Amino acid sequence: MVTTNKFRVRLETLSIIVIVVMLTLISRLGYLQVLEGDYYSRLADGNRIRLIPAMAPRGLFYDRNGALLVSNRPGFTVSLLSLVGPVSDDVVARLANLLKMSKEDIYNKISQHTGFDPIHIKSDVGPEIITVLEEKKDDYPGVVVEIQPIRNYINMELGAHIFGYVSEINDTELEARKGEGYKASDIIGKFGLEKVYDKELRGIDGGGQVEVDVTGKPVQILGKKEPVPGCNLTLTIDENIQKAAEKAIDEQLAYLQAKTEYKKAKAAAAVVMNPKTGEILAMVSRPAFNPNLFGGGISTKDWDLINNNPYHPLDNKVISGEYPPGSTFKVVTGSAALEENKVTPEEKILDTGKHWIIPKVNADGEALGWIDFRVALAKSDNVYFYEMGNRLGIDLMEKYARMFGLGAVTGINLPYETDGLVANRRYKEKVYKEDWYLSETFDAAIGQGFQLVTPLQIADVYSQIANGGTRYRPYLVSQITAPDGTPIQKFSPEKMGDLGISKRTMDVIRDSLRNVALEGGTAGEVFKNFPVAIAGKTGTAENPHGSDHGWFVGYGPYENPEYVVVVVVEQGGYGATSAVPIGKKILEAAFHIEPPTKEDPGLK
Amino acid sequence: MLSNRLIRKLDFTLIAAVVGIVVVSLIIIGSATHINTPSDERYWFVQRQGIFAIVNCALVFFMLHFDYKILQRYGNALYIFNLVMLVAVMVLGQSALGAQRWIQIGPITLQPSEFSKIIMIISLATMLDKRMGKLNTFKDLLPVAAYVALPFLLVMKQPDLGTALVFMAIFFGMIFAAGVNLRLLMIIFGTGLACMPVFWHFLKDYQKMRIMVFMDPNVDPLGSGYHIIQSKIAIGSGMLFGKGLFGGTQSQLNFLPENHTDFIFAVIGEELGFIGATFVLILYFIMLYRGTKIANEARDNFGALLAVGITSMLTFHVLVNVGMTAGIMPVTGIPLPLMSYGVSSLTTNLVAAGILLNIYMRRQKIMF
Repeated sequence: MVTTNKFRVRLETLSIIVIVVMLTLISRLGYLQVLEGDYYSRLADGNRIRLIPAMAPRGLFYDRNGALLVSNRPGFTVSLLSLVGPVSDDVVARLANLLKMSKEDIYNKISQHTGFDPIHIKSDVGPEIITVLEEKKDDYPGVVVEIQPIRNYINMELGAHIFGYVSEINDTELEARKGEGYKASDIIGKFGLEKVYDKELRGIDGGGQVEVDVTGKPVQILGKKEPVPGCNLTLTIDENIQKAAEKAIDEQLAYLQAKTEYKKAKAAAAVVMNPKTGEILAMVSRPAFNPNLFGGGISTKDWDLINNNPYHPLDNKVISGEYPPGSTFKVVTGSAALEENKVTPEEKILDTGKHWIIPKVNADGEALGWIDFRVALAKSDNVYFYEMGNRLGIDLMEKYARMFGLGAVTGINLPYETDGLVANRRYKEKVYKEDWYLSETFDAAIGQGFQLVTPLQIADVYSQIANGGTRYRPYLVSQITAPDGTPIQKFSPEKMGDLGISKRTMDVIRDSLRNVALEGGTAGEVFKNFPVAIAGKTGTAENPHGSDHGWFVGYGPYENPEYVVVVVVEQGGYGATSAVPIGKKILEAAFHIEPPTKEDPGLK
Repeated sequence: MLSNRLIRKLDFTLIAAVVGIVVVSLIIIGSATHINTPSDERYWFVQRQGIFAIVNCALVFFMLHFDYKILQRYGNALYIFNLVMLVAVMVLGQSALGAQRWIQIGPITLQPSEFSKIIMIISLATMLDKRMGKLNTFKDLLPVAAYVALPFLLVMKQPDLGTALVFMAIFFGMIFAAGVNLRLLMIIFGTGLACMPVFWHFLKDYQKMRIMVFMDPNVDPLGSGYHIIQSKIAIGSGMLFGKGLFGGTQSQLNFLPENHTDFIFAVIGEELGFIGATFVLILYFIMLYRGTKIANEARDNFGALLAVGITSMLTFHVLVNVGMTAGIMPVTGIPLPLMSYGVSSLTTNLVAAGILLNIYMRRQKIMF
């Protein structure tokens, strides 16, 4: 019989052990379920809930007349859905083979990915790959195909520098924009308007919350959020003018390369602006690129082609190409001289072919004899404008150049605009540690030497001349509208400054520019019989690295200007033969003029 | 027939606890085996477990007619039977998960190591009965140890580490109650601890992995650590009130493996919450606590030793199984008594409860 005290104590001890065991277990449960319950709930949800994001389609681009320019098309994206088990090496190898990617690339994407949503492996794959994936489903466990909107630049290279392109967000961009709701593998605007208006364009991604079982098989849909498309942009661009400008440039470059000595005429820029508002109607830069190449991740081959092109297809030369303005600058020198009373329109100066102080000559060594202001500008006489430079001095010339807005960005709503350079003493002192020489004043007076401008700045200068002296901010977007069509934001002309030059001076300048396009002017031959009165200026800018750059600036109708056109052809030689034909075709498009048949674009 | 006098002396508290556990078990097995989703075989597990519960209750009731004392008569014979049975498993047994544990008899798959636990208790109680209070020297203890060591080694050979550990628990629980010299006990434990590295050597790789994973489940989150991680998530995410029956996502979506057998307690934790899980643990506590009381009130040493053996076995099972699902014990494949699906285990545990009732029913009349 269990009677002795010793055994009683032993049995009591066993009871206590039972109590201790139970208290231990209950405490443990309390810790797991009450204290850490939230944490484990999240883990349980993470196990069972998968987010299948639905990418919002980006906003569309329309031209000023409502023509669709940039849209989206459905594309197939191959993704991996993170299951409980890691994706087997076999599957990755098969997938790599199918998608023609390296296994490392796929593993990189897997390792960089966090969260439970699908890991995008390759976007915009062809239907033949989707067919394989569907037919051999069992060979590709965990591989899913999603349909995502892919950016579609309908007209391929057309307007590429305006629209820009989109691509997957990179680490630096992600770091910088994390707070704004951007996440890894998002598509983001990288260039052009896509970059500037990315926030408005991107919309709000939607998605489905799906409950999956342990094998990753969806069991039920927990919730669904439709993606909200991005806002649409109505551009100031006129598709017809844009197309005409692109075509004219391409034809002219092909002509110059094939039929003339200017084999390196491969780059050009053109811009069309409404001088009364600052609206940009067309903007072309050559060489261009096809923005469709970037959306699904550009291939190394395509990237190398773009990146190794010595003419930099990714530069928008309208806003970031800096060229010596050449004779197009003479309107600045001329305005200054007239306004400062250094010359009267009537005063005649003798051009003997070279200046009398420093023997600088005319471009082709011609001598025009006694000429007044109007003739000098219309015929782009250098000696006359050397003398204007001589009378003004560099400081006054700098002052007037800056009054026109040169040496500063125009403020257009595009990224990577550059500001050019206005020739001045301080710059030379700073960079070359030398005093200013008179010969440099001469160079500056005819838009050479230190002077550097972008085509858009020149468009700005001539717009002020055309409209009487108001400087508007150039802009490309007239309206942002919600997907349902309600306007979100409207853009109206924005005044950046008043030129403050007398009407008397401006009239003389305009009169002279009109003469340029009339018989005897540098563009007179080309615009002979042109049904709209055009004023303008040609330019041939010396280029220390090769052939001259050809310039043309024109506006019309002369009495009431609606369009300012600027064309520059890099290494195209004379402005009159390289740039003017392009400008003429653009003006024809702008004024809906049927060009006379059988015209060789290169001949004047 | 049982006399009314005896029926009145039944331990109704223990009966209530056992019935309560079995009822919860059937409900939870139902939930874990998706009884709520249409399928031809959805009732299979619950039906089978339910039938065996009823059959076993009848068996237990029948056994109550016999004084437990007759077990003592067969103590040694049962011991031999146990050895034969364990050898038979090794010869005839079917492999599952790398261990030979099962014998197929007709439609019934028997797991002899389950039965061997209760047989072990009976034989050891028979042996210790004559040695109560006489376990003072190493020499005294040696025969007892050898007696247990033989079936222990056979079980280890299967290999069935879980059952082997249960044997240890039974052994230590019973010699402790039989009054083993405490200093001797300390020396054994000390030596045991010192021999751990040697012991480690004899473990199979998967057993080593289980212990490593127990230390840190994240060494192999999708392999050996998976069970522990998913089980902890299941229990933790049940929070205070649980996700409701059939509502446990870990269990219902099969993230939790073996949710109707070894990891059934995780389903309780997930679907019934802290409150439900604690309620179940209280049922177990009542059962175990009654076990120690019954040992205390047993008519004779044999009865006390039997009760202690059974209580030790059940306590160890509950501790290791619940501890395992809650991540404080390694994965050893020990089922939760009366809760986990498995007819061998159910039978053993109901018989064990029956023996407790038997002992209590025939307890000494003199109370003090």
